Amino acid sequence: MKPKHIQILGIVISTMFALFIAFLYATEPRSLGELTTKAGTAVGDALTKGQVITGTYEVDPAKFAQGLALFRSGDYPGARSAFQAADPETRDGRTQFYIAYSLYRQGWGRFASDNKLFEQGLEVATRADKLLGGTYISDDADLKLKTPAALRNELEEGLRVTADDFNPMRALEERK
Amino acid sequence: MEQTEEQEIEKLEVIDAEPVSTTRVDGAIVPFEEEKLHSEDVQRAIRLYILLPFAFLLVTLFGGLRFNGTDGSVMYLSPALIYLIFGATLMALFFVAGLIRLDGWVSERFPITKNVINGITLLAMYAACVQMFNSVIPESGVFFWLVCFCFFWTLWNNLFANFDNKKLLRSLAAMFGFAFFVKYLLLTYLAAPAEQSLVSSILNNPGQAAITWLFSLPQFSPATGYLQFFTIIIFIVALYFFPNTTEE
Repeated sequence: MKPKHIQILGIVISTMFALFIAFLYATEPRSLGELTTKAGTAVGDALTKGQVITGTYEVDPAKFAQGLALFRSGDYPGARSAFQAADPETRDGRTQFYIAYSLYRQGWGRFASDNKLFEQGLEVATRADKLLGGTYISDDADLKLKTPAALRNELEEGLRVTADDFNPMRALEERK
Repeated sequence: MEQTEEQEIEKLEVIDAEPVSTTRVDGAIVPFEEEKLHSEDVQRAIRLYILLPFAFLLVTLFGGLRFNGTDGSVMYLSPALIYLIFGATLMALFFVAGLIRLDGWVSERFPITKNVINGITLLAMYAACVQMFNSVIPESGVFFWLVCFCFFWTLWNNLFANFDNKKLLRSLAAMFGFAFFVKYLLLTYLAAPAEQSLVSSILNNPGQAAITWLFSLPQFSPATGYLQFFTIIIFIVALYFFPNTTEE
């Protein structure tokens, strides 16, 4: 074995070990079990980023379908979790639209809405609108607000305090 | 004239006829001395380009590891800013004392691969120095500042002292050894055990509980001390085998 080969071997081993140390200090796994989980997550993230760079990024259809089923059953936090897993890079407008919609439905109240959820929903709906380019119309019969713009408007209305908020007839309004 | 040439040829024949011990390498017969030299070169290269950077990186990894006193889970402590300054000062001390000759490690006379691996080794050495301070200096409280001040004082003095390699190594071993003793034996003895609740530690040993609270002493598992002991050993041994130049 020539010294040059050993030098190259040294460069490879040292670089890999240094990367491993950086990974450990960045992710801080507390046990060996957690280390494998975090390594798996890191590899998954790296693959997703690679897909984005190469233009082959796609939403996970199984996770999206799971999110949709949870959304329709009324489990909005669970649906959001599945939608986020389906679109980890937040690049799919349709998925973002459903996330915003789940925030709207969870935050909606007959007498008062949850402002925090509505603010989050508004942020996600704006992102969805940008991603979809303003031309998207949902074909989901379950949704009464068919476009991200309509959803944004509803969320903005919910956040605004007006005299209409004190109208007792408002209690008869239905969630969209 | 011809006679002289004949005499020279005879001399050569005598020299060539000298018995030389040989060994077989890849089917070819090579002189034993040559093979021995080659083997020494390989061993030296493995030590310089694989073992040394690996040892320094190991110190870098272990230096910030702690085990939680209550559940034994692993904790990763990033170095404080002041450790980077201490590390740089220690590297400067290595250069001043002649433990490292920069042109003997990175030079345009060397091939690119050698320069790269040597650069990595020096970087790993710096990271190991930083993590050594991270290892032996208490994490917080009054003792953090006290020990930091002692280190700063010692390093500053050493920068202007006349050191040779052996004296520097002895001084470093003593410095880190003493800091280890203070942190992992003395302060650990003073700190209340982590598994004890606050109430029981106040009832059983109010002095310990008060010192732990007053000086914000960390409560790590004993495994931390064992790990950091071997970390210091690895660091000192790696420095002992660290040549001031990689020139052949």
